[in-house]
Amino acid sequence: MSEFEPKIVGFLCNWCSYAGADKAGSAQKPYPASISLVRVMCSGRVEPEFVLEAFNNGADGVLLLACHPGDCHYKEGNIRALGRHEVVVRILEQLGIEGERFVLEYVSASEGDRFVRLVEDMTDQLRKLGPLQIRR
Amino acid sequence: MENNAQHEGNHGGQGEKLKTSVYFCRCGSNIASRLNENAALLKIECQRDVSKVKAVNLLCSEEGKEFLKNDIMEDRPDRVVIAACSPREHELTFRGVLRDADMNPYLMQMANIREQAVWVTEDIDEATEKAVRLVRAAVSRVQKHEPLEEHEIEVCPDVLIIGAGPAGMKAALSIAQSGRKAVLVEKTPVVGGMPVLYEEIFPNLECGPCMLEPMMDEILHGEYSSNIELLTLSEVDELLGFYGNFVARIRKTPRYVDMDKCIGCAECFEPCPVQVRNTFNFGLDVKKAISFPFLGALPNAPYIDSRKCLRFIGEECTMCRESCPIEGAIAYEQEEEMIERKVGAVLVAVGADLYDPTNIPNLGYGKALGVYTSMEFERLLSSNGPTEGKIKNMGGSPPSSVCIVHCAGSLDENHKEYCSGICCQTAFKFNHMIESQLPGTRIIHLYKELVIPGKDDFSLHHEAKDNPNAEFVRYEDIRDINIYTPGEQENVQVDYRDASGREGSFMADMVVLCMALTPPAGSEELALKLGIPLDSSGFFEELHGRLDSVQSKVKGVYLAGTCRSPMDIQKALDQSMASAGYILSGLVVGRKLEVKPTVAEVDADRCGGCRICVSVCPFKAVEIDGETGKSSVNAVLCQGCGTCVAACPSGAIKGNHFTREEILAEIIGGLR
Repeated sequence: MSEFEPKIVGFLCNWCSYAGADKAGSAQKPYPASISLVRVMCSGRVEPEFVLEAFNNGADGVLLLACHPGDCHYKEGNIRALGRHEVVVRILEQLGIEGERFVLEYVSASEGDRFVRLVEDMTDQLRKLGPLQIRR
Repeated sequence: MENNAQHEGNHGGQGEKLKTSVYFCRCGSNIASRLNENAALLKIECQRDVSKVKAVNLLCSEEGKEFLKNDIMEDRPDRVVIAACSPREHELTFRGVLRDADMNPYLMQMANIREQAVWVTEDIDEATEKAVRLVRAAVSRVQKHEPLEEHEIEVCPDVLIIGAGPAGMKAALSIAQSGRKAVLVEKTPVVGGMPVLYEEIFPNLECGPCMLEPMMDEILHGEYSSNIELLTLSEVDELLGFYGNFVARIRKTPRYVDMDKCIGCAECFEPCPVQVRNTFNFGLDVKKAISFPFLGALPNAPYIDSRKCLRFIGEECTMCRESCPIEGAIAYEQEEEMIERKVGAVLVAVGADLYDPTNIPNLGYGKALGVYTSMEFERLLSSNGPTEGKIKNMGGSPPSSVCIVHCAGSLDENHKEYCSGICCQTAFKFNHMIESQLPGTRIIHLYKELVIPGKDDFSLHHEAKDNPNAEFVRYEDIRDINIYTPGEQENVQVDYRDASGREGSFMADMVVLCMALTPPAGSEELALKLGIPLDSSGFFEELHGRLDSVQSKVKGVYLAGTCRSPMDIQKALDQSMASAGYILSGLVVGRKLEVKPTVAEVDADRCGGCRICVSVCPFKAVEIDGETGKSSVNAVLCQGCGTCVAACPSGAIKGNHFTREEILAEIIGGLR
């Protein structure tokens, strides 16, 4: 346990990504335990404030997982999420937080393996970046 | 329920400690064997806000649910956390148990410790820690939960159907047979749509009017016809309201013939001094200003073409009324009416049009003699058409050679990118009908692709392939075909380059262009009135192309037939029945519509009226009040995605059960 275990908050939409994470669960594919998943009905529900508060409360990274473009249960919520992601990354950078700490990705209900890989990749990336230091 | 209300009095946030019970499901050995249960329970019990923890073997079993119910009733907690499987699996189950235990079902939160902790974390201590952390997040969140009430609204079970083609008629009959009222709005004076104009219908070569007549008869005179209000020469002008409670305003233009009195004897036609081009024969012949659209058209009453009738251009002609044997059947005094109907659902079945052949000038349409669209050729084949079913050029003789151009405008990035799906079958039907009426006629098929799926559809294709007088030439680009009349000749010359690059040329007495199917004229306007979107090809867009292809993107507005996508009659009727099924099961007579509480709500005091919510809502569920300028969410239409909640710059919108406070509490609880 000497290695840095980055804390990740994952926002997952109910219909695709959360189902994809459940799929990884029922397939019993292990992934780093330091991620906490928060279910939202749609990735379009995720407000910039949620991301900022996650960092403010100790997260080293935030993962926003949406349905693949064109698959959104609510038609276009994932497209809204995409737009907000760009803006939030810019805000983070202005705050001195690396944009790479906030990742938007797409996971379908069947992509349990993809979900696991994304969590592992994010964990690797955050290990390289190291713990988040917020200048207050 | 008194008891319930009292029980829900404690909403948290006022500083008092809420009694929060955590039920820990062992899920048989699924969860229990993968963590250190005692350690987990101890740590959960020590968490802030947790009043008690109970471990249960299998909470979703009958015994488990009974235990949960009794325990809640005995203990009366303010909040419940269930640490078990995914909420996608059993959230509804446990909400039901809470309801049975007389507790508001929304005061519960699940911690998904099976899929998200023990099943995906190999180390038993780490799995225990993670399960504890997920419970902490859930406990933290549930403190912020609010009791939410499902409520019900009255609905109208009647249905507006736009378009009285086969799809619209089939749906109207199904609705009528169930005892509901169907308002069937048709913009032409006749029912039957496109196929009623066809002499024969592929693949089995049934006669179009014969196939449709029983259905049309049922609509007009059948056992359930009293449940169908047929409005011909009518169009929907406005649709207000929402699923279950629409109000449709319908503009009905006068027929100038009283359908209740007219006996359809046709005595009025002969004396009429005015000839007009017959649009039902695509202008290939003429008819009188008062006439049937075509012989056998239903309803069996003529109509007056007011654009051409002398009375409507300022002359005093009463010839038709004078010749009419029935008093009052000719009704010059009829006026345009605005009719208002209350309905619960709407079915759009307005059919399709053909792509305008003049968009492909090299096909010679309108310039070379003897070049027809497939619809015009259908009328030439039809016994009630301009040539009474004889295949010949207007005023000319039967052709000894016919060129049929397939894929005209389809599968073409310069025109329509999609395959129109029905043209191959139409072309092979023409092949059959030409050969049987005029054996030995040379038939040249110019095609780009051949598409003949389905179990019945091969036979006409085989027949065409086996016809010794039929030739097939594959072309690559419609621009490689050039059709024109050379010099003074009466027939046309067709020059082409085939797909392998070889050039050729032949003379033909007749050319039939199987044009692409397109959305019908006026779809954009209709879509705007109904508040539903069109797709990139201009067809009415479905909610989901595979799973929900008969629902539009607005709840309660359904789609059937070629206005949604090119398709044959079979598929159109399948869709109309699917729509009827949705409507019949969704709007049940005597049953109210359940409105979920997990929707967005606007705090009018904080709303600045910026309309961002209106623009981001994919379901047209947000409206701006004309008077106050503030937005409000229609709970029937809202699907609870929360996009508007996140978008509101004033934080004026609350997403019930996914509020800012609830989500933040979960985030922070999981990081603590």
